[in-house]
Amino acid sequence: MQHKFDVIVIGAGPAGSSAAYNLAKAGFNVLVIERGRKPGAKSMFGGRVYKAPVEKAFDDLDKAPIHRWVVKERISMVYDEEALTIEYDGRGRHSFTTYLTDLSSWMADKAVSAGAKLVTEVVVDKLLIEDGWVKGIVSGDEKLYADVVVDAEGINRLVLERSGLVEKLRPEHVALGFKEVLKLSKEDVNKFFGLDDDEGLAWVFMGEYTDGLPGGGFLYTNKDSVSLGLVIYLGHAVKELERHVYDLIERVRLSRIFNKYFRDARVMEYSAHMIPADIKALRPKRLVYNGLVIAGDAGGFLLNLGYTYRGVDFAAYTGYLAAKAISEASGDYSLESLSKYERYIDESFVGQDLKRFSGVHDLYENRRLFKEYPMLAINMMRRLFNLEYESTRFKDAFNESRKGVVGLTTLLKDLWGVYRKL
Amino acid sequence: MSEQVKIKKIRLEDMLNNNVWDVDPRPHITVDTGKCKDCEYKPCIRLCPVGCYVLHGDDVLFSYEGCVECGTCRVVCPEEAITWEYPRSGRGIHFRFS
Ligand SMILES: Cc1cc2nc3c(=O)[nH]c(=O)nc-3n(C[C@H](O)[C@H](O)[C@H](O)COP(=O)(O)OP(=O)(O)OC[C@H]3O[C@@H](n4cnc5c(N)ncnc54)[C@H](O)[C@@H]3O)c2cc1C
Ligand code: SF4
Ligand code: SF4
Repeated sequence: MQHKFDVIVIGAGPAGSSAAYNLAKAGFNVLVIERGRKPGAKSMFGGRVYKAPVEKAFDDLDKAPIHRWVVKERISMVYDEEALTIEYDGRGRHSFTTYLTDLSSWMADKAVSAGAKLVTEVVVDKLLIEDGWVKGIVSGDEKLYADVVVDAEGINRLVLERSGLVEKLRPEHVALGFKEVLKLSKEDVNKFFGLDDDEGLAWVFMGEYTDGLPGGGFLYTNKDSVSLGLVIYLGHAVKELERHVYDLIERVRLSRIFNKYFRDARVMEYSAHMIPADIKALRPKRLVYNGLVIAGDAGGFLLNLGYTYRGVDFAAYTGYLAAKAISEASGDYSLESLSKYERYIDESFVGQDLKRFSGVHDLYENRRLFKEYPMLAINMMRRLFNLEYESTRFKDAFNESRKGVVGLTTLLKDLWGVYRKL
Repeated sequence: MSEQVKIKKIRLEDMLNNNVWDVDPRPHITVDTGKCKDCEYKPCIRLCPVGCYVLHGDDVLFSYEGCVECGTCRVVCPEEAITWEYPRSGRGIHFRFS
């Protein structure tokens, strides 16, 4: 193998393959290094990808391993095995469900067919830094040189950490996500969730399933399976979570609300991964250095709005912007020249979204959202609907459910907070 | 309504039987369990999603074989007791449907 490349990309996830694909298309000699046996083998996510940004980064998205187009959205608050759910049944088709294992393979194949070289089963240990420049990468005893490196290693960013460019991750900066993939027949998925063959459901829920700790759950329908998982913010979980996280997800599967879907289900896989949480804290001081660009989760580019996650599309799009900045640098990969990438990011929907929603993470500090409010909501529904003789006035149902749970001023303040930050 | 079919909890060991690993004969994670004595909350035990850390009496026992390489234990360990590397040569977890 020739030992000098135009570009080395670390990680064949959505960010890395997007950068590699767009650079290879532009004529660069690109090497992608992936630690898994194949791209996708180490990938795990919730289940839904927004189309538009990915379509900007990759041609022929219609040939991607798309399971179902999301037409139904559900958001539930859960307390005492009862749920209050908002459902949006729309025309949708702005996002699709998939396995990230498959989508990452497809993206890497795109990069390879555009001319990028891919090596798998190789772990990058650190960046090769000489005289203040990133000159390539180090893996074991081997050094590989490149004019510029794209770091797309994901959230567990050991390469950046070991190269001294970011601090070690702290519990309050990340969340843990874990899920069970449960096999159902396609017909059952359709029947249980009221879907046509290629229609999908994205369902998020919060409340008792995380034992009142910041976090939440998700259910996504795949072609003939369902991804059922939880996300728990590690900052609080370290001290306060009292049971094993696996017991939390099993409780969801067995719960009154969900178990009816899974009576005939067979487990296909159980997986886990970290998720960026405190985006401000995770953003590296610079997204570029002399000879280096950082894309995807490694740069902390993920938006969690509570009711939807955007990570894969952000990763693909930041990879695309990395390729654009590198292409336009005409061989000058100094920090000044590459800093165009930071501008592209900040001006793009990724930078704008992360700025506009920068307060959302603070909402996760408000524990009432995960405990008191689901309880209040369910108690109110009970009063309104579980009638025997007399009917209940809305204001009585509300006030009686609220009493002793949360004060009116606190409630108004919290509502205002949610309104302002979302 | 007919009698509901009750579905049962799956033991974690059985759940993990659905996954595929190519276990590296050399452990990619090692734990200096001497440091665990001073660790008040022992978060690794509750937060490792596949149960690689278990409490046996007062001792923390660690086994790396079922690890899915999420990185959580390293992040939550307050005592810097964990030496953490990715498995080499494509070893370790091999996700297929996630
Ligand atoms: C539970 C959960 C639910 C989520 N739900 C959603 C969702 O519904 N929708 C959504 O859009 N996003 C979701 N996300 C976020 C999304 O998965 C990520 O934002 C996205 O995968 C980031 O892409 P990436 O390319 O930056 O990193 P990754 O996908 O993590 O890819 C990094 C790649 O680099 C490789 N690698 C890492 N280190 C090295 C090394 N040292 N040497 C060689 N190779 C290396 C890895 O093996 C991997 O292939 C979720 C995440 C989790 C954990
Ligand atoms: S968190 Fe670290 S120090 Fe604490 S018990 Fe686990 S390994 Fe030991
Ligand atoms: S990396 Fe994740 S799966 Fe592996 S031992 Fe640590 S917490 Fe458990």
